[in-house]
Amino acid sequence: MLLLLILLLPLLGFVFLGLFGKHLREPAPGVIASALTGLSFLLVLYGVLTGGAEWAVKDWLPGIPFSLVLDPLSGYMGLVVTGIGFLIHVYAIGYMHGDAGFSRFFAYLNFFIAMMMTLVLAGSYPVMFIGWEGVGLASFLLIGFWYTEKKNADSARKAFITNRIGDLGFLLGMALLYSLFGTLSIAELREAIESSTVLPLALGTAGLLLFVGAVGKSAQVPLMVWLPDAMAGPTPVSALIHAATMVTAGVYLIARSSFLYANLQDVSYFIAVIGLVTAAYGALSALGQWDIKKIVAYSTISQLGYMFLAVGVGAYWIALFHVMTHAFYKALLFMASGSVIHALGGEQDVRKMGGLRKYLPRTHLHGLAGALSLAGFPLLAGFWSKDAIITSTLTYPFGGTGFYLAGLAVAFLTAVYAMRWYVLVFLGEYKGSGHPHEAPPVMTVPNDVLALGAVFAGFLALPEPLWNLVEPYLAPALAHVEKHHMALSLEWGLIALSAVVALVGLYLGYLAFTRRALPGWYLTFQTWSSNAFYVDRVYNVLIVNPLKELALVLALFDGFLDTVYIAAAGAGSWLGGLLSKVQTGYVRAYGALMVLGLVAVLVWGVLR
Amino acid sequence: MSYYLLLSALLFAIGLYGVLARRTAILIFMSIELMLNAANLAFVAFARNSGNLDGQVMALVVIALAAAEVAVGLGIIVAVFRARSSTSVDDLAELRG
Amino acid sequence: MSAFDLIAGVLLVASALAAVTLKNAVHAGLALVGNFLVLATVYFALEAQFLGWIQIIVYAGAVMVLFLFVIMLLFDAKADVGTGRMPWMRPLAAALAAVFFLALAYAFSGVGPVHPLAEIKLAGGLPGPLGRLLYGPWLYVVLLIAVLLFAATVAAVVLVQPGVRGARKKPQVLERERELGEVDR
Repeated sequence: MLLLLILLLPLLGFVFLGLFGKHLREPAPGVIASALTGLSFLLVLYGVLTGGAEWAVKDWLPGIPFSLVLDPLSGYMGLVVTGIGFLIHVYAIGYMHGDAGFSRFFAYLNFFIAMMMTLVLAGSYPVMFIGWEGVGLASFLLIGFWYTEKKNADSARKAFITNRIGDLGFLLGMALLYSLFGTLSIAELREAIESSTVLPLALGTAGLLLFVGAVGKSAQVPLMVWLPDAMAGPTPVSALIHAATMVTAGVYLIARSSFLYANLQDVSYFIAVIGLVTAAYGALSALGQWDIKKIVAYSTISQLGYMFLAVGVGAYWIALFHVMTHAFYKALLFMASGSVIHALGGEQDVRKMGGLRKYLPRTHLHGLAGALSLAGFPLLAGFWSKDAIITSTLTYPFGGTGFYLAGLAVAFLTAVYAMRWYVLVFLGEYKGSGHPHEAPPVMTVPNDVLALGAVFAGFLALPEPLWNLVEPYLAPALAHVEKHHMALSLEWGLIALSAVVALVGLYLGYLAFTRRALPGWYLTFQTWSSNAFYVDRVYNVLIVNPLKELALVLALFDGFLDTVYIAAAGAGSWLGGLLSKVQTGYVRAYGALMVLGLVAVLVWGVLR
Repeated sequence: MSYYLLLSALLFAIGLYGVLARRTAILIFMSIELMLNAANLAFVAFARNSGNLDGQVMALVVIALAAAEVAVGLGIIVAVFRARSSTSVDDLAELRG
Repeated sequence: MSAFDLIAGVLLVASALAAVTLKNAVHAGLALVGNFLVLATVYFALEAQFLGWIQIIVYAGAVMVLFLFVIMLLFDAKADVGTGRMPWMRPLAAALAAVFFLALAYAFSGVGPVHPLAEIKLAGGLPGPLGRLLYGPWLYVVLLIAVLLFAATVAAVVLVQPGVRGARKKPQVLERERELGEVDR
């Protein structure tokens, strides 16, 4: 029952605000929505502290129960979702101030929270899929929130369609699992897979299909194209959905299914490769972006790649740890960007910013904290989680040295572009034409909380011999994976190495982007990077435009069919018109017809 | 016996012609009466042939029916033609399609 | 087939033809009356005495009188002139009637008496036996007929009530009446 309430409270908010929101004055819808999300957070916390809960409706679908479960994994994720969700709700009260769709925004946000919690608390795959689809819908609604602009509607559509491709994989994976084991309840599947010996090829296919779903939802290569365009939505949306929570749903799915992937070496290897490629692509593209939010968006793609690298090598708890730290500092970065945009009256081009350190002192601190955490500045949250991932490539079964080196290289790039972001926005001279003013407390206070998290959250899980609270907490819900043991001195040596790499990257970034001019080879690279290496254009040529042509052809055919049907109807109508001429209205004519019929029957009867 | 039956059929056919060929309602009605009587003749002939009085009962019923029908029918004709003051049935053609 | 049968048959057919073809409505009505009277005599010959008297009293005496009243009350006696708007109706009607008769004649040709005529005891169709039948097995029919006659009486009275006060003829009717002035008479 508790679990149902966690879902129902934000859902209730959605319904209530959807129906009656426009009769409420600001900031009432925002307060209501935030309060409901905060309540959900408290309920999750309560559930976690009391040791978990379960709730199910038997035979919701034939043989499949509707089950919700609060175990360490879902509790952990749930705290992240509702906690950060609450902070972003509060922030949005300030950010969306004065917008005509104020109540609609909060209705959608609450709907998102409800669906995300359905996904997180799901005890069986179909329930998770409901949440999966629901957050996709919420994403669509929120990206296209200002739908009167065509660009926004297009971005929303792009997100939804790309997601859908992944969803097909999810569905097929579910179907395959059901046909193999006859159940889709996660607990039952875990038992079945851990104890049975099913054909590895079938299991591998199922794992691959589920991963395809994750690729779509979590913007991995090749389905990552929707995330940068999703920046068309309001900044709180970008912070909540496209940084902290929805995009991590793919990671959550893999972690939830860890019992499946722990035995699939090839699939896991493939996942790790994709993760690495995505991480590299994101980092390289972030270096050339000129939109303040797009830099952070590509950074998200890159960091998600890291998370998949982690699950790929088998380090499930490390990926989830990174989910949490990333949620803190990425949401912080987005919301700081939002404060900047809000301060400049809507300006998003980084080339028109600079020197905002003087005008926006609080936001400047937020931005600095977020950027440093992202870059992996020693002792900050991002440092501990990213380093855990990179080190895990050497200790976990499916990893390797190649992964380690590549991960380290991308970490260097991350530091560089994080510093670039900070330098271009906050340092130097202000190049724009607006009148920057600091954001109101309703926006800065949540950012303060996030900044604290971005700085200190990493201390929850430190390398040996220091304490680690996360790994043992999550262990019961995840598959057990054998790690190689690494000598402590080696481990700390590598940690020092990645600290050095981060610091070098930060320093080089600072040097490079405070200079006036940059070398020619870099400028060429920058053009490529700012267009995200033309992936969208390639997709358009190869896929989108041919499909559009096909649609036009089919529409022609459809029109032709319509003509056929209309002609058929016309023929019937014409026939009816012809026959109606019998209705002359003359009684005697009718009488004659009657007699005619009578005579005909009589003759026929007589002749038989 | 079949003579009377043939006679009945002939009278019925003549009445049929009258129903279709006449233009005024009252004359159509009269032709209908002719048809009814032809049927009566057939009933009585059959009764005679089969030694069963049921045919005559039927004929009696038909006569009673015809009487009722005439009452109502003439009432209708009178009402209609009072409103129209036209005697031709062809003028009642408003239900044309 | 006796002489009576022959003469009666000729009279019946002749009067029927007269009734459907004469242009003067009164003449046609009178021809029909004659037809009914001859029919009554045929009933007597077919041992249906009660029915014959009923035919004379009810049909010839009441129904046809009613007809003649209505004709003389409402109609211009020479009304049924011309073929109106459907000139093809007369030949068609004749053809249909002819086909009808031929079919029926063919159907009836195989019918003969069920028993030898000598043994038939219809008791002359007298009221007594007929009455016993009516109030015996055919009782329900009699009751229904009674209801029917009652309903007909009520209907007839209602139908000839004068119209609603102030009701005017509909525009189409007025138009028609104007048109009728030009119709071939």
